[in-house]
Formats: sequence, structure tokens, C-alpha cells
Amino acid sequence: MAGMVPPGTAVLGEASAAASAKNINEVGKKVDYMNLPCPIPYEELHREALMSLKPEFFEGMRFDFTKGLNQKFSLSHSVFMGPMELPSQSAETIKIPTAHYEFGANFIDPKLMLFGRVLTDGRLNARVKCDLTEDLTLKANAQLTNEPHMSHAMFNFDYKGKDYRTQLQLGNGALFGASYIQSVTPHLSLGGEVFWAGQHRKSGLGYAVRYETDKMVATGQVASTGMVALSYVQKVSEKVSLATDFMYNYMSRDVTASVGYDYILRQARLRGKIDSNGCAAAFLEERLNMGLNFILSAELDHKKKDYKFGFGLTVG
Amino acid sequence: MASRVSLKSKGKSSGGKGSKGMEEKSTSQCLKEWSTWAMKKAKVITHYGFIPLVIIIGMNSEPKPQLYQLLTPV
Repeated sequence: MAGMVPPGTAVLGEASAAASAKNINEVGKKVDYMNLPCPIPYEELHREALMSLKPEFFEGMRFDFTKGLNQKFSLSHSVFMGPMELPSQSAETIKIPTAHYEFGANFIDPKLMLFGRVLTDGRLNARVKCDLTEDLTLKANAQLTNEPHMSHAMFNFDYKGKDYRTQLQLGNGALFGASYIQSVTPHLSLGGEVFWAGQHRKSGLGYAVRYETDKMVATGQVASTGMVALSYVQKVSEKVSLATDFMYNYMSRDVTASVGYDYILRQARLRGKIDSNGCAAAFLEERLNMGLNFILSAELDHKKKDYKFGFGLTVG
Repeated sequence: MASRVSLKSKGKSSGGKGSKGMEEKSTSQCLKEWSTWAMKKAKVITHYGFIPLVIIIGMNSEPKPQLYQLLTPV
């Protein structure tokens, strides 16, 4: 009876046969659970959402000059003039005009990365990343000041397995933390973390989930400190990504939701976002010439009536 | 009366502790003191020495940059 099929339906039949064959191929391709990709580190879970929604906003004038002495070693000089916000308990924001010069030295090697910045008031910001073996990495981060009891340091030991990552964190003030993240399917990874802060007598537990495909990334994180954070980033095209973020603290009943976009164009990168706290912000980086970047930052907080505008130039 | 009593008891207990303390400077006390001293010294050394360390490591990496390149802005 196969020979009785009329020619018109034969063409349709072929197209549908091809489509169903493709579907069968996709479904039939068995997921190799022994060969899952390595997940991203636990602290970079919300990486795409943070990159789009939280660029480094600043207020005032910023000038950064980076001078490379050779492939691995560079020095940086940075000048900042503008109001610095002091953390205040009241609803009013207190700003103090400051100006500082920051000198920095970076050494970047595949196995060792050293990053140091020192300010005119004596504060040192240091980061070290060292690959002890192929799978074990030591990271250290320190902010040292001349004032007593205001310095912080944190050491992280990261171990990367075939399809999992673990991290152990030690900080000053008896801060201990550990985290673990595992790839469960080629797109889904689950993780958990636990921390203990001796000085504040606090401990906490957290869980995280991340689902990513070529076009989108969705993440969720819950912690026993009361924080729930969800984010979703959709890559609409090569140049455009849209991101949205939701943060809820079930202890203090604080909710923040934000929506933002990220345009990566040939000569410029524009990121903007709007918040449920009535804050609209944008950040533009424009490439004027090879190695010369012009930065504009604007943050309008209508609820607190705080408007911040900044401009800067980055050389090198 | 109550205050006098409490002062007396305080005096006694501190006296008692004092005599015990002289004999028994326990290893945990020693360890804590030495680790605090070591942390303080490590903090001062890192604070003053980290950037010079990065510069020394950088100046000795290949290809070796010249000393004047460190100082001139261009």
C-alpha cells in the first residue's frame, strides 16, 4: 500500500519525516552522565546577572592609567575626585568630598596572579591567586589599613574535580566557610554552602541551583540568613542581553526586583537598569581610540532623592 | 556590708588566680600569645612589603623591563 500515496503528500511527508528524524536524534542522543562539564565556581553563580545589572557605578571624576612594562607585569595609576558616601543609619545620605591617588602593581601569569593597590591614606588592597597543582588553587584577598581592627583577610582553597568544585574559606575574625557545586545534567548544576562566623556568633547554610543553555541562564539561591535571590538572563542576540533579578529577605521582609539590559556594541558597552526601589541607573563605556575608554555613570535614586553622576577616562 | 564582702571575695579570688597563674602559664595561653604576635607581624610585613614584592617579581620576569620604565609615565 505504500505505492498508493499521492505525490503532493510525498513532499510534505519528506519534510515532516526530516523534522521528526531530527527530534528523534535530539531525544535519542543519550546524556552521558559520566562526562558532564565542570560547573562554574559557587561565588560566580550570579555572574551574568551581576555583569549586566551591577556595573561599578561611581560619582565624580575617575582617571585610570595602566602602563604595561611587559606581557605579565603592569603598573597602574588612578586618580579619583568626588563625594564618598558614608554609611549612615538615618534615611539621609551623608557625602564627604574626597580625592585620592591610588598606585597599583599587577603581575599576571598563567600560574600566579598578584594584584596590589595602595591608596594615599595607607590602605592596601591585595589579591593573590596561585595554582598550587592543576586542580587546587589558593586565592587570598586582603584589605589592610593603618587603623587597628579594621583590616580583613580571606583565604580560599578551591579544588576542581571532573564535574564538581569545592571551596574552603578561612577569614580573619574566625570566619570559616565551605561550598560545593556539582553538575547534575549538562545544563543544570546544584550547590550548597555552609559558613560560620566566630566573631558575630553566626552560622548559616545555603543552597543554589543554576540552569543554563546557550540562550539563557536562570539561577536561584536560598540561605538560612533569610536571603532568597533569583535571577534570569536572556541572551537575545550577540549584542543584546536582558537580565532580571529578584532579591527577598524573609527575615527583614525586604524585597528588591530589578530589570536591566546590556548592549555590547562595537565601540561601546551600555548597561542600564531600573529597580523596584525607584532607582534607575546606566553605565556607558565608549572606546574612543585604541586603549582609550571614556566612562559615564549615572544613578538616579528617586526614593532617597540622591542623584549621582560620574565621568572618567581609562587609558591602557 | 554587701559591698565589703564582695570586695573581699574578689581580692581572695584574684590572689588565688595570681598564684596559680604564675605556675601554670598553660600551653594554650602561650600559643595564643605567640599566634597573635605572629599575626601582627605578618600584617605589618604584608602591608609594607606586598607592593614591593609584586614589583620585584615583575621586574625579574621575562622579558626583563628596564628600571627607567618603572618611573616614566609613558
